[in-house]
Amino acid sequence: MTNHEANSLVIEGVSTAYDQANVLENVSLTAASGKITCLLGSNGSGKTTLIRSILGLTPPNRGSIRFGGVDLAGLPTHRVIAAGIACIPEGRRVFAKFTVEENLRIGAYQETSDAAVAQRLAHVYATFPRLSERRDQLAGTMSGGEQAMVSIGRGLMRAPKLLLIDEPSLGLAPILVRENFNIIRRINQQGITVFLVEQNVHQTLAISDYGYVLSKGRVVAAGEPSELGQTRQVHEAYFG
Amino acid sequence: MDLGLVAQYTMNGLMLGMMYALVAVGFTLFFGVLDVIKFSHGDVLTVGAFTALASFIGLQSIGLSSDAVELLAMLVAALGAMALLGAFIARAFILPLRSAPALNTLLITLMLGTVLREAVRLFYPDGANPKPFPRLLPADSINIGNFNLRLDNAILLTAGALVIVGLQLLLNRTKLGLAIRAVAQDEETAKTMGVNFNAIVLITFAIGSALAAFAGLMNGLYYNEINFGIGLYLGVVGFSAAIIGGLGSIYGAILGGFLFAGLQTIGAVALPFASAYKDVFAFAVVIALMAWRPTGLIPEKLSERV
Repeated sequence: MTNHEANSLVIEGVSTAYDQANVLENVSLTAASGKITCLLGSNGSGKTTLIRSILGLTPPNRGSIRFGGVDLAGLPTHRVIAAGIACIPEGRRVFAKFTVEENLRIGAYQETSDAAVAQRLAHVYATFPRLSERRDQLAGTMSGGEQAMVSIGRGLMRAPKLLLIDEPSLGLAPILVRENFNIIRRINQQGITVFLVEQNVHQTLAISDYGYVLSKGRVVAAGEPSELGQTRQVHEAYFG
Repeated sequence: MDLGLVAQYTMNGLMLGMMYALVAVGFTLFFGVLDVIKFSHGDVLTVGAFTALASFIGLQSIGLSSDAVELLAMLVAALGAMALLGAFIARAFILPLRSAPALNTLLITLMLGTVLREAVRLFYPDGANPKPFPRLLPADSINIGNFNLRLDNAILLTAGALVIVGLQLLLNRTKLGLAIRAVAQDEETAKTMGVNFNAIVLITFAIGSALAAFAGLMNGLYYNEINFGIGLYLGVVGFSAAIIGGLGSIYGAILGGFLFAGLQTIGAVALPFASAYKDVFAFAVVIALMAWRPTGLIPEKLSERV
């Protein structure tokens, strides 16, 4: 196996159910190493469930989820993370009663070297000077945009090979959405594989290398961003 | 009333408050990480106190007679064994019930408490009767007016305070503490950060149960007597203290513990109907406090209310 394949996320035939009801049906997709791959879909299409299945928060009933030569399906969440994965969850989910710095430190929870943690902390503060100014502020008292920075910074503290990002634009002002997408592109340029789940079609396709469309728990279209933007399925997935 | 007597009562109140606070902190830790009330907590304290006593008797029987060594051995045995028992209870009875209604956990721990209590009563030799607990701390004392400061009490109080400070440092200054607090705030996000949830739950139950064992040892050394019911009483008081403090808040639990002890002391000293009614008075005030502040004095989810 080459290094490139090692950092690809390969999902094959995944079905996931919450209490009897199937949410994902036979989903197969690949987030190629070093690329930004997006998954588009409207509310309730099963996007977040797929992220939860990858993370082991809602384990899939069938199928395989491979990353770095390991089948993640069925592993407890902390072992999925140990495979070199980090997640920027939907709604940011910062720890409200932690300071900014504590939020960042918990992001590097599995890193045992203090020197590595200090180095990453410096890197995140360089990326987000605003967080550096407010390192002792409780995250719960910050604005939505600032919390988004905390959540992204926390994901970077893991120094992941694969970063899962769930709806980064949710609830943010348009200018912040644009800024976030620029940041995602910069993260990817550092060599991190990105799997981005979004509702926001145009800006997402603009930064992606490859895209999938999810509708009612099934993958209904896949392709390069230029062709995907034109397809009927994308429109149907949202309005159909 | 003269100052010496006031000091005497204050000392006693502080001692009680320290024990209550140690028990209350356990309740609040368990509720923090798992949102469960573990009603067997008080009886773990009883088992801890009896473990300490049994190890003392064991050491005596092999001819050891150094007070310091005996005390240290009792401390290690009681805290170690109760940490293991606490982790075992979490693993065997509480984690498997996570998907069941919270009421089931409450019921199972209530029954478990009865099993532990009755096991002490029935299986400990002559366990139904109060057992003398050895005096192992130096009993010298200084008289200041009417106030008799006993060295053993001062040592117990200091040790209790150090344990609470140590816990506070553990929670706020270490990586383990960061993980425990993360799990208490948001279990799923903590998992997503790579925290091993089950391990953190077991460690938290071990810590809380070791604190209860410490309180049990303090109780034995202070009263020089233990019985199978001490944990039942301390459990109810500790639970009330955790609730008035605002379940989930460590400071609230400590505050609640000392507040309850303060109320009892006032009830015993200042009220005309004397000490027999001190618990009635203290619990009545707790009920009034709960009616006034239903979420406790330091609500855990303060940030959600502002």
